[in-house]
Amino acid sequence: MANVPLNFDVLFVAALAPILGVAAFWFLQLFIIEIQKRMLSRLRHRHEAFCRFTNYIGILFQTISQALGYSVTRSGIASFQVTVNYGKVEPKKEKEGIFEWIARSFLLFGPFFIPAGLVLLVSFFVIGRGFVFLSPVQYTFVESLTVFWGSLSTFAYEWAGFLCNVDFFNPLHIGFFVVLLFFGLGIRPSYIGQERKEKIDILYDLIHIKDHLLEKPLYIIAIVLLLYVFYLLSLFLNPVVYVGLFIIFGWMSLTAIIAILLTFPVLLLIKSTDVIQPHWKIIPFITVAVSYIVARVFFIYFPTNEVERVSLLAMLFSTILVTIVLIKYKRTNRFKTTPKMKPMRVADGKKRTSKK
Amino acid sequence: MVRKELLKNEQIERVLSPHPLSFMKLQTLCIFVIVWGIVVWWLTGFSEYAGTFSGSNWYPVILWGLVLLLIGVIASLVAIQWTIFFLYLGVFLGAVGLIFWQHWENDIELFIFIYSIAVSIVGFLIVEAYRRSHKYIITNLRIIFKGGIFTKRERTIRYDKIADIDAKQGVLGQIFGFGTIIPVSQSGFGLGSDKTMAAGGVEVGGAKARFFGFAGGGKEIQTPIARSYYELHGVYPYKDVKQLVEDLVQSHVPTQYQKEQVEFQKQQVDIQTQMRDLLHKQVSDKPRRKAVKQSVEEEEEEETEEEEVVEKVTRKKTAVPEEGFPPEQVDIQQQMKDLLKKQKTVRVNPPEEEDIEEEEIDEDAEDSRKEKEGT
Repeated sequence: MANVPLNFDVLFVAALAPILGVAAFWFLQLFIIEIQKRMLSRLRHRHEAFCRFTNYIGILFQTISQALGYSVTRSGIASFQVTVNYGKVEPKKEKEGIFEWIARSFLLFGPFFIPAGLVLLVSFFVIGRGFVFLSPVQYTFVESLTVFWGSLSTFAYEWAGFLCNVDFFNPLHIGFFVVLLFFGLGIRPSYIGQERKEKIDILYDLIHIKDHLLEKPLYIIAIVLLLYVFYLLSLFLNPVVYVGLFIIFGWMSLTAIIAILLTFPVLLLIKSTDVIQPHWKIIPFITVAVSYIVARVFFIYFPTNEVERVSLLAMLFSTILVTIVLIKYKRTNRFKTTPKMKPMRVADGKKRTSKK
Repeated sequence: MVRKELLKNEQIERVLSPHPLSFMKLQTLCIFVIVWGIVVWWLTGFSEYAGTFSGSNWYPVILWGLVLLLIGVIASLVAIQWTIFFLYLGVFLGAVGLIFWQHWENDIELFIFIYSIAVSIVGFLIVEAYRRSHKYIITNLRIIFKGGIFTKRERTIRYDKIADIDAKQGVLGQIFGFGTIIPVSQSGFGLGSDKTMAAGGVEVGGAKARFFGFAGGGKEIQTPIARSYYELHGVYPYKDVKQLVEDLVQSHVPTQYQKEQVEFQKQQVDIQTQMRDLLHKQVSDKPRRKAVKQSVEEEEEEETEEEEVVEKVTRKKTAVPEEGFPPEQVDIQQQMKDLLKKQKTVRVNPPEEEDIEEEEIDEDAEDSRKEKEGT
């Protein structure tokens, strides 16, 4: 048993600290997801295929989460279907009560954490650093929160170090970066439908989750009680276990946030190239690859420290510069409309032209 | 070019080609070669495991080739297409041959990298040429499929010969809006079955093969499957094309009423043909032309005066032997009379009439038959 002074703070309040930490990061995740969804919905009319692709990834994760819920509750899976517009999972047995509630919880919360958990697992092998569980000494609320924050900040620091030194000449790094972008585009619980739907936003998600939680208050009380028993047990046996559980959830949220944030430059680049003339809009994308390769080749002949970091900076700088120059000098016609203008015809069937 | 091949009253509805991403299975083969080449180059030259491959110059080639062939076998078994394996085998043997020929043993890592990229680019170009060789022409009467780089293949199917339409859209198709439509003909063209088998022998010890590895798979179920030049492969926009084809097929499928009308017309034509033949036969016999005329006149009267049909028939029956017609002529006249009756029955029984009317006519026919029998 740990040598802990048993007071009100340690016995009751400290248990809430990691929960609050996870909730804070989860809300941050929701907020960033919302920004991403709005960016995607603005791109939709010009990049339908791209949005369908991101939709597909999102729906795939959502459907996998739902299927996982049915598997965990031993309902079985009768059918599993994922398309660009919808996902469908049918259970073999229609269970009710707690099983139904758990399966639904997987559907609502799974998309936030399951893909992020997968990325976290991959990052454990690729990055391999920053997975530190700090242990509290006094077991108070503030200290638990500090420990939680400390573990997450170490994790974030290592991530930042990896991203700043990512080596695109290393296939492992390229693969991991692609996975990050791939998951980053799909880590969102609700999808952008075939038609643009304004109602599917952060509030829509939160209302659904709130309704789900309030639907069965007894289950919530039972879960809280179970968590509290778990906290008390870990307090007397090994306090790191309880905080550690929530730290893992915090890492998942942080991974999701990083993955989504990484997609922002990509979305921004796509949006920026929309105002460039059609034949020139490919140039910024080519610049991304070419500038990095040129920088790396340059540093082979003129060796220096921090080659990867400098090459990344060179890539970012040249891409931004080329895009700005193209936007300034090769801007597309602003008055161009999305639907093609059909040749106007007068009543006698002849084309109406401006030339006389 | 296309317009010259059109039939009379044929109009082109759409001319289509496969979507650039519709041959992604073939393109994936090229992508794998390029990715694996880069990985081997990095693994044997720059990674922390590079020292493992420093024992011999040939280690990178062996690693590269083994994985390539292994993936080739797996892909061939999964896709049920052994061309993939032989393609990869060709790529591997080509690389080994080039190394021997040009003595590039000392720069094998770089060679693998450059060779993989070069082979992939050639592969991409071939796939693109193959894609561009396809052309699908949807007209108001039929679908024309064309394809093939060296051997030009063409298939034509009329809408009234299409028994079923199989349509499929993969993930990429759903994202980019293309899909494949297979029109299955009434003869079963467009259906197929897949089968694959792999076997290998391993010699253990003696001169004979002691152990055999055996793996295989088969699909005997008939599934809609066709070569890309015999189906509307990866056409864009999928939904519109599918709708168009379905509409055209539907417009060429006769309805129940149309079917009955056609059947009725067929019967009429048959009867008239038989009558013509009989008349020809009768006319060819000149001395008895008068008798023929007489009988024809009687038949016309029968049509106009339905009530006196039975009496006239009896009179004719009795009259013919009196005039001394030979038995052959009597038979011809009898057959013609039957045909005329049949035709009349068909006319008064149009296909769209209600059952009640048909029943009444049947009763009338039965009455007349009874009367006939009585006379």
